[in-house]
Amino acid sequence: MDQEIKIATLDAEGISLKSVSLWQVTWKRLFRRRSAVVGMIVLGILVLIALTAQWIAPYDPLKVLIGVEKVKQRQAPCIHLLGCPADQPEHIVGIDGNVRDEFSRLLYGTRVSLWIGLSTVTFAIVIGTVLGALSGYFGGWVDTVIMRVMDVLLAFPSLLLAIAIVTVLGPGLINALLAIGIVSIPSYARVVRASVLSVREMDFVSATRALGGSDFQILFGRILPNALTPLIVQGTLGIATAILDAAALSFLGLGAQPPTPEWGAMLGSERNQVFSAPHLVFYPGLAIMITVLAFNLLGDGLRDALDPRLAHGG
Amino acid sequence: MKKNLFSLLSALVLVSLMLAACGPAVTATEAPAAATEAPAAATEAPAAATEAPTAEPTAIPDVPVATFDGTTLSVPECGNGYTGLIKSVAATDASTVTFTLCRPDPAFLSKIAFSPFAIYSSDWLDSTYANGTRNSEGLEKPVGTGPYMVSEWKRGESVTFVKNPTFWGEPAKADTLVFRWSSESAARLLELQSGTVDGIDNIGPDDFAIVQADSNLQIAIRPALNIFYVGMTNTFKPFDNVKVRQAIAMGIDRQRIVDTFYPAGSEVATHFTPCAIPNGCVGDKWYDFDATAAKALLAEAGFPDGFKTKLFYRDVVRGYLPQVGNVAQDIQAQLKANLNIDAEIVVMESGAFIEESGAGRLDGLYLLGWGADYPHITNFLDYHFGEANGQFGTTFPEIYNNLVEGAQIADPAAAEPIYVEANNKIRELVPMIPIAHGGSATAYRADVTTPQASPLTNETFAVSAPGDRSVFVWMQNAEPISMFCADESDGESLRACEQVMQSLYAYEVNGTAVEPALATSCEPNADLTVYVCTLRQDITFSDGSAFDSADVVATFNMGLNIAAPTHAGNTNLWEYYDYLWGLMKKPGGQ
Repeated sequence: MDQEIKIATLDAEGISLKSVSLWQVTWKRLFRRRSAVVGMIVLGILVLIALTAQWIAPYDPLKVLIGVEKVKQRQAPCIHLLGCPADQPEHIVGIDGNVRDEFSRLLYGTRVSLWIGLSTVTFAIVIGTVLGALSGYFGGWVDTVIMRVMDVLLAFPSLLLAIAIVTVLGPGLINALLAIGIVSIPSYARVVRASVLSVREMDFVSATRALGGSDFQILFGRILPNALTPLIVQGTLGIATAILDAAALSFLGLGAQPPTPEWGAMLGSERNQVFSAPHLVFYPGLAIMITVLAFNLLGDGLRDALDPRLAHGG
Repeated sequence: MKKNLFSLLSALVLVSLMLAACGPAVTATEAPAAATEAPAAATEAPAAATEAPTAEPTAIPDVPVATFDGTTLSVPECGNGYTGLIKSVAATDASTVTFTLCRPDPAFLSKIAFSPFAIYSSDWLDSTYANGTRNSEGLEKPVGTGPYMVSEWKRGESVTFVKNPTFWGEPAKADTLVFRWSSESAARLLELQSGTVDGIDNIGPDDFAIVQADSNLQIAIRPALNIFYVGMTNTFKPFDNVKVRQAIAMGIDRQRIVDTFYPAGSEVATHFTPCAIPNGCVGDKWYDFDATAAKALLAEAGFPDGFKTKLFYRDVVRGYLPQVGNVAQDIQAQLKANLNIDAEIVVMESGAFIEESGAGRLDGLYLLGWGADYPHITNFLDYHFGEANGQFGTTFPEIYNNLVEGAQIADPAAAEPIYVEANNKIRELVPMIPIAHGGSATAYRADVTTPQASPLTNETFAVSAPGDRSVFVWMQNAEPISMFCADESDGESLRACEQVMQSLYAYEVNGTAVEPALATSCEPNADLTVYVCTLRQDITFSDGSAFDSADVVATFNMGLNIAAPTHAGNTNLWEYYDYLWGLMKKPGGQ
């Protein structure tokens, strides 16, 4: 993969041989997949919302509107365009159980969820890559010890293990992130180990070794960069899982603590009102679904685009 | 191309860094709070451990003072370290029991009717304990004289009762009674609507209209004989400072809480005791909400910028607190907005919460309430502000001296000045902040007869027929903790026991007045210190053993005499025996 790939492309002047990098190919393939493009667009919008929440949110997400506006607890959405009387304040997804603007909380929730997804996966990738790389490169007892520990971690249902970790550490967003991070380490370690195993036998690695490169140079300078492809796919899909797990923990009261506007926590605190105030359960659920779907679409697209075997299918 | 790859990776890291950096900046209040959580949780256990000795300063164990010879349970003398109410319980003959009290007690009949004092058979008491606690038989299958008996308790699922064939009164209307539970009011209502249960407790505030509009259902409003309060333990800083407590009392807009989170029929508490109870709300009304004055008072106390604390609650629906999570968040928001107090919400498991709060080990504010067990002011004030109760930390003689005095006067009018003084002292010293008296309701299928919503939350399902069905299914908020109710204080447990067990007196259905049960009468002497109870004759327990006066004495021996081998319960807190009668002991070292 370090070499350039010669690919025949058809342009206006006819057939010519061009030198194209793998990443350019990947981008092209990715853009040709409608689902991946949709995923990227949705994700782009979500990132934009997360970055600009304080400007686009109509209210402070923590502001209790009792006595500020004429609104009731768990009031249904009021949208002026859809016929809600103009003398009533507009709350496009309604009022929550503590008389706060649900829409603003949803917008700020984007920030929390993306932050959860990226930070846990970054944490898990960093630790998982190091462990997987050491294990794959050195083999022997290092491999055995690391991979057996990973097997033990994998033997637990991930959410159950996360709950156990949070129970020990105490509930809270940071602890939940740590728990989810720890739980997702094994999958990255395994992916990296597998790639390292296949890459380390390649000629350019032997060449570096023959030139007197240290283990560190070989591992982090030569092998790892060439073993990253599956990791990127796994990471993108992993963000979706991490967001889901964090929402589940918060739903159970173990993750984000009130009054943090976290989707899972919002859903959990209003789960009793599923019939009397469905908007408080529907919209946070929808937000979680859209975000997870976007990451999954992008992840699937990336996997296909990065897989040389599917080159013709793209 | 390696460069490309790295630039992509570094872009990913950059984006995550940016988001991470943005996160705390805007969600400023939550990120640091979450970050401090771990150490706080970590220090909690040692803190509780080191606080335990200060909360219970008597390191020397209590000394038992009672003597029991099978027919008489007595203490040698009242006073001299013994603070209990009962001097002796004596079986005068097989059908007569005489209670001799140390002090006049106007509420004796109201107390004796309460379900923790239900009568057990002496043989059963002797055979169901081991190593200082009740065995599983004792905790799960009590043998009583009531209309039902326990058939099966599937832990986590349901309790099944079957009709007691030997019951002395009118037999239960339904052959089988099933208790189920769900902490979610929506789930309870759904079960009721689908017809899988016949009655549910505590319908959600938003569901009143739904139930009323449904012709297949009926609603029963439970009168508000309860109090929801925000407790504090004054042995922890900064709650040791009365000005801090007063500031919080003034800084919470209680009207807003009641208006927003309570169903129709609820009211803001002007006093700790509801006004329906004689002398309950005499004296000055509670502080009006005044954020400015509260902030000034807090500054005067040395906290101009507020402080950090915790707000504990258990996620359990009660009539006094129908929307516990939302109320907790609102109080959190009010403390922040009005007093700049950062309160971190901590949800606890119900049993642990009761134990920790009761022992005065919660180092913050906590949300708790009280539903009347018997309709007398002593049930509210003496339980909470009596000398023995450490749940608010150090007790106040200014308050409890009045309560001791008031409890000896039978005539409410004569006792009024004393309770005026007691209520005013509670207002001045703020051991806790009374918030609301919560209205609540039960709902039943339309064909259920005698729909019950007892103000004392002790519904007796034997008198209700579930239409033409033979099984009555009741769904309450939570599973009973155990069914050895002599040593339980939780309403969900007591209600289950009440189907099986009976006391000497009972409360009327849907009311608070007392009526004879296992006793046909209990006659007091002129100064209310001796009650002679004549027992119902020729009745048996559900295991076939005969009921007589020895069982009554054995039951009180089990509850009161800390030296008795049968004094073995579930947690051995003996809350009601201790608070309503006083255990037969005196402090060690005297």
